Amino acid sequence: MGKECVTIVINDIRNYKWFIITGLIAVLLTIPFWASNYTVSIFLLIFMYLALAQMWNLLAGYAGLVSLGQQMFIGLGGYTLAVLTELYRAPLWSSILIGGVISLIFALIISAPIFRMREAYFTIGTWLVAEALKIFFSNWGYVRYGQGFFITAAYQLTTTHMYYMAMVIGLGSVAVVYIILRSRLGLGLMAIRDNETAAESMGVEVFKAKLICFLIGAFVTSIAGSIFYLYQVFIQPYAAFGIDWTVAMVFIVIIGGIGTIEGPLAGVVIYVLLRQYLYNYAGISMLVLGLIAIVLIHVAPKGFIGTLQEKLGFEFLSPRRR
Amino acid sequence: MTTANIILQVDNVDIYYGDFQAIRNVSFQVPERSIISIIGSNGAGKSTLLKAIAGLLKPYSGKIIFKGKDITGLMANKIVAEGISLVPEGRRIFPRMTVYENLIIGSYTPKARRKNKELLNKVFELFPVLKEKSQQIASNLSGGQQQMLAIGRALMSDPELIIFDEISLGLAPLIVKEIYQKISEINREGTTVVLVEQDVRRSLKASEFSYVMRGGEIVLTGKSSALEEEDVKVAYFGL
Repeated sequence: MGKECVTIVINDIRNYKWFIITGLIAVLLTIPFWASNYTVSIFLLIFMYLALAQMWNLLAGYAGLVSLGQQMFIGLGGYTLAVLTELYRAPLWSSILIGGVISLIFALIISAPIFRMREAYFTIGTWLVAEALKIFFSNWGYVRYGQGFFITAAYQLTTTHMYYMAMVIGLGSVAVVYIILRSRLGLGLMAIRDNETAAESMGVEVFKAKLICFLIGAFVTSIAGSIFYLYQVFIQPYAAFGIDWTVAMVFIVIIGGIGTIEGPLAGVVIYVLLRQYLYNYAGISMLVLGLIAIVLIHVAPKGFIGTLQEKLGFEFLSPRRR
Repeated sequence: MTTANIILQVDNVDIYYGDFQAIRNVSFQVPERSIISIIGSNGAGKSTLLKAIAGLLKPYSGKIIFKGKDITGLMANKIVAEGISLVPEGRRIFPRMTVYENLIIGSYTPKARRKNKELLNKVFELFPVLKEKSQQIASNLSGGQQQMLAIGRALMSDPELIIFDEISLGLAPLIVKEIYQKISEINREGTTVVLVEQDVRRSLKASEFSYVMRGGEIVLTGKSSALEEEDVKVAYFGL
């Protein structure tokens, strides 16, 4: 009886899927008009981390590329924005875009050596590249060594402006992943996720598929990083190229459900809210997050959404074909 | 054997894993539209040989020729496009994808994709249970159904040659019998079949020609009907 009710509700939700999505987006669009500044900035953070987590999920959850070095693209995006606007007074928008392109080119260059490494070696390799960039930037006079930049161009923007920018990159990242997964490439990616060797012998061009994901991930992560530093106003190498970024992405994706589109959506809300409350307990905040991750991995290894999907057979943003 | 066209020819192939030679100077031929079997115990080198044919391993030396074209060392995705399809040992279906998705990914190559509707209908005709369960997650199927799915997926690439690796492993005898009936059906439709098995009796019964492997070499060759089960066993165990 209970299960039947659940099924009916699920079918209702499924039928009104696009209606619900449009409604939600409409509500999100109006938030700056009626919510407090604090609420707006919470949503801003949610969107920003959503973009980062969706990209990490695309890499780790589908392409089998567990990167611990995504902060390299955040740093590159943030620094490009800082340098172009501070030193050359370049326009904001083009600075953000150029940051994305620089990250893309950098990803393409490092892909040659780094794709020769597999699994754990790839993971360590990406981290090392990010660490090397951190050390390089903190010793580079052109970017003012470790002292960093104030991004004064951000003063012309209000929180509302930045909210909409974050919304575009956050929801845009969901759309990008959805479109990729619905494409032929996405079918190949899902197969790679399930069994790489079998995917290859089905004719999937594994290397090409992984490279495309890595490049898209670099671009979007970089843009999201730039937007974050616009909001933060100050950038310095130890934070910008720090591993904390990727730790957050991993946490969001794992607790939400790796290899699903909805997973990072749920994970990011949990993460940002937890982080806000734990600000008051600076010393133990990381311990609490770690504990939650460990407990969840033991109780529900597929994450919040992954477990829900398994129990109810329900996928809201399903990329499945019929 | 001599009059028929040879679709696959393996010439003096050597394969190494590091310093260990897994395949020693192996040669064999597969006539078009035939069923041949490669028999051998664990570690005889059967799977290694298959991986080389399917493009998952590069031979150290020797040649693999398919339809008159040298395919030695081609990548796996190119070999599928050439028309060789592998039903891998342990099935290797995609567990988190639906039955339908597992099937259409079999038609990933552009050539097969153009006719995937037609291929899908053929697979559903051969295995009606897959049509019934097409929207189910593949890991929820029974072992026998998963094996059928793996075969269906291999057929979706529109192969001219299909290789079955240890297909009866871990399945109930009744299911194995059913699957072997399907294999001969597939063969009657014009697809060449290579069976790789540990089950000597079944292989001899199902195939026209057999090669027995031991220690990375082919140790016995002959028409399946002419080979005595005893001789094969002797060759198989090296007694």
